[in-house]
Amino acid sequence: MSKPNPLLLALGIPVTVILAVFVLLNLRSGGKFSNLTPFSPETYRKDWATLQGNAYVLACQVDKQLAFVEGSGRIISVKPIENSRGAGLLPVRVPASIKTNFESGQRYNLKLRVRKDILEVEDLENF
Amino acid sequence: MRISTLFLVIGCFAFVSPSLQAQGQVANQPGAAVNAGGGGDYRSTTTENMSDRLFDVNSDSVDMENGSLQWKGKTFFLGNSRLMRARFERYLAAPAPAGDTKRYLEIFSQIESLLAPNVINDKTWATNQQAAFDLLFEAARYELDGESSLTLASQIRKVWEMRREFRDLGVNQNQLDVLRKKQEGIVINRGEQLELANDQRAEQSAKKAKGGALVKSTAGTTELGYRAKDEQKTQAEIVANQTKMTVLALQAQVEFQSQIVQYLLARRYRHCIVACAFYRVMFRSSSQNVRVGAKEVKEFFPISDYVPTLESLDGLCREAINDVAVGVRTTEELFKQGEVFGAFERLQETYFLGEYEPVIQAFNPARKRELLELWRDLRELQRVGDERDLANVDQYLNQVSAKAKDFPAAAVRSKVESAKAASNMQILAAQQAAVSGDVPKAEAALERAAKFWPLNPAIRDFATKAIAHQDVLAQKVPEFDRLHTDGKWRDIFAKRDEFAVALIQDKERLAKLKAVVVRVGEIEAILLQASSLAAQGNPYLAWDLLQRASAIDPNDLMLARTRSDIAPLVADYARLLGQAERLERDGHDAAALTAWMAAQELNPISEVCGTAVKRLAGKVAGAGTAAATTGTPEVPEAPPEVPEAK
Repeated sequence: MSKPNPLLLALGIPVTVILAVFVLLNLRSGGKFSNLTPFSPETYRKDWATLQGNAYVLACQVDKQLAFVEGSGRIISVKPIENSRGAGLLPVRVPASIKTNFESGQRYNLKLRVRKDILEVEDLENF
Repeated sequence: MRISTLFLVIGCFAFVSPSLQAQGQVANQPGAAVNAGGGGDYRSTTTENMSDRLFDVNSDSVDMENGSLQWKGKTFFLGNSRLMRARFERYLAAPAPAGDTKRYLEIFSQIESLLAPNVINDKTWATNQQAAFDLLFEAARYELDGESSLTLASQIRKVWEMRREFRDLGVNQNQLDVLRKKQEGIVINRGEQLELANDQRAEQSAKKAKGGALVKSTAGTTELGYRAKDEQKTQAEIVANQTKMTVLALQAQVEFQSQIVQYLLARRYRHCIVACAFYRVMFRSSSQNVRVGAKEVKEFFPISDYVPTLESLDGLCREAINDVAVGVRTTEELFKQGEVFGAFERLQETYFLGEYEPVIQAFNPARKRELLELWRDLRELQRVGDERDLANVDQYLNQVSAKAKDFPAAAVRSKVESAKAASNMQILAAQQAAVSGDVPKAEAALERAAKFWPLNPAIRDFATKAIAHQDVLAQKVPEFDRLHTDGKWRDIFAKRDEFAVALIQDKERLAKLKAVVVRVGEIEAILLQASSLAAQGNPYLAWDLLQRASAIDPNDLMLARTRSDIAPLVADYARLLGQAERLERDGHDAAALTAWMAAQELNPISEVCGTAVKRLAGKVAGAGTAAATTGTPEVPEAPPEVPEAK
């Protein structure tokens, strides 16, 4: 049996690992809302008016529920997972139609629509 | 003198003339063997008993207020207090009287000896009286006597003259009796002759009636009538003469007794004693009771069943003389012991008891001078005490204490301090009442303060302040109005005490003042707390407090200063809060909520942030649908500032 070329091995293994990680990451961030633009908390804080009517995806972790109005909805404070500038706690409104149980520490990809200055959750997926 | 108005019961025939005594008309009276001169019962125990009853009473005292001296239960009225003081001061300042005091006293002893009951008899009665009488003139030459002996001598001389007149009246009376008896005999004789003649004529008429002529039967009746009239005239003259003698006798007795009582009340005891001695000799024993001035004498002796007699007066005088002597000795002894105040008191009492006693008048002038100085200080002390000039009492107390170590200065000082304290307490009460606007209460307290200490300087200060207060009132009201209109709460707060006093009666302005004080006071408390928190490393909480203070009065200068001090420590937090408030004010609740949450991340325990987040979250949760159903979202006129989270 012929012995594998060591040079080929030395170059091939790291390239393979890198490709595998890249594929994995692309698969995770994309998911159900891979077609949506990631939500920029910084832009929202600076000029929420420019985001009105748009839909975004936000990968975040549930902090706690701030308010609940029967038949209307609730306000959940979430922390964006992306550790970028302006990524502090954000209040998102979950309409009553979404019956998901939110627990502190859960991670979600939220499809958000900016209605006036409110970040309305239209859809979500756990990850 | 009032005694002259008190002639009461008539004592009959008080004179005992030398001729009657010589005839032994009093020989069978009690005590005549040793009392031939007609004096009282000197052997009796009347005086001793009286002394026991009178002299066992309380101690002596001088009442300067009433001008009287209480001595063994008896009261001497010495004139008004001003005269008493003046007389005592004059005595202390006066030098010793001129003349030999010893010789002066010997004269009185000689007089007493000459008139003593065991010496007076039929042979010596006249000569001893004359010798004693002459000695009175010798005594009158002494300054000590004040010529009182001359007055007594005059009285004695007057009695003698009365006695002579009485004797003349007695002779006249005898002559009238003889005349009346003779006239009576004539009348009887004429009557009998007339009766005999009438009988003879009647017999002759009967014979002639049988054949004879008519016989006259009234011859001699005219002369009998004249004789009877003469006899009646003489009888009337006798009665008139007897009345005149009675009055004369009574007058002599009364005048002499008046003089004796006057000597006693004037505290000229030695003159009183020799006057009694003269009286005993000149008047008979049935006239020894004191009839004149009985009321005054009874007032002098506060005993209900007291009957004044010469013996009681005599005994009283001797006791007084003895007490004066003891008093002077006591004074000297107290001086030796260094008890000057005690010596002063004893001398004062003794002086008023025996002002005219030689032993008093001749008291050591140097010591009198020393007591005079003390007396003047005491008088000043009393004056400042009477005027309640308590501030100066100390000065005179010290002066008196320096002169008289035994003066009870501590007790006086204690009372003075108590009065001062009471006065000051009342002024304090007046001040408190004035501050609370209770003018009547303030006035009453001030009046009480003045009663305790009229010259209290604090009263003058209070009055000055009250006047100044009125001026302040006139200025403070417009000043308050101006500051209030300008919203200068801090200035009002700084002068809150002055305004409170000035506006105490103005309820409307007072309410405004109270509101300002409460508001600024609350801010002050918050600022104090905020400063403390900032110093402890909690600037965010301090800022929260400042936000609360800002809600009370955003224009407060001290608040602004404190905010500027703390702001650099909480720049991000402050900016977030500012933005959150502005967004909320503009109706951007969700954006505001985002900002509040960002601020809360910086200051997790912030009550302000927590409340705001809770409030806005509920609002957004409930209003989301409406917002969501709104058509084209409105673009804000001006994009809000960006709250950046760390």
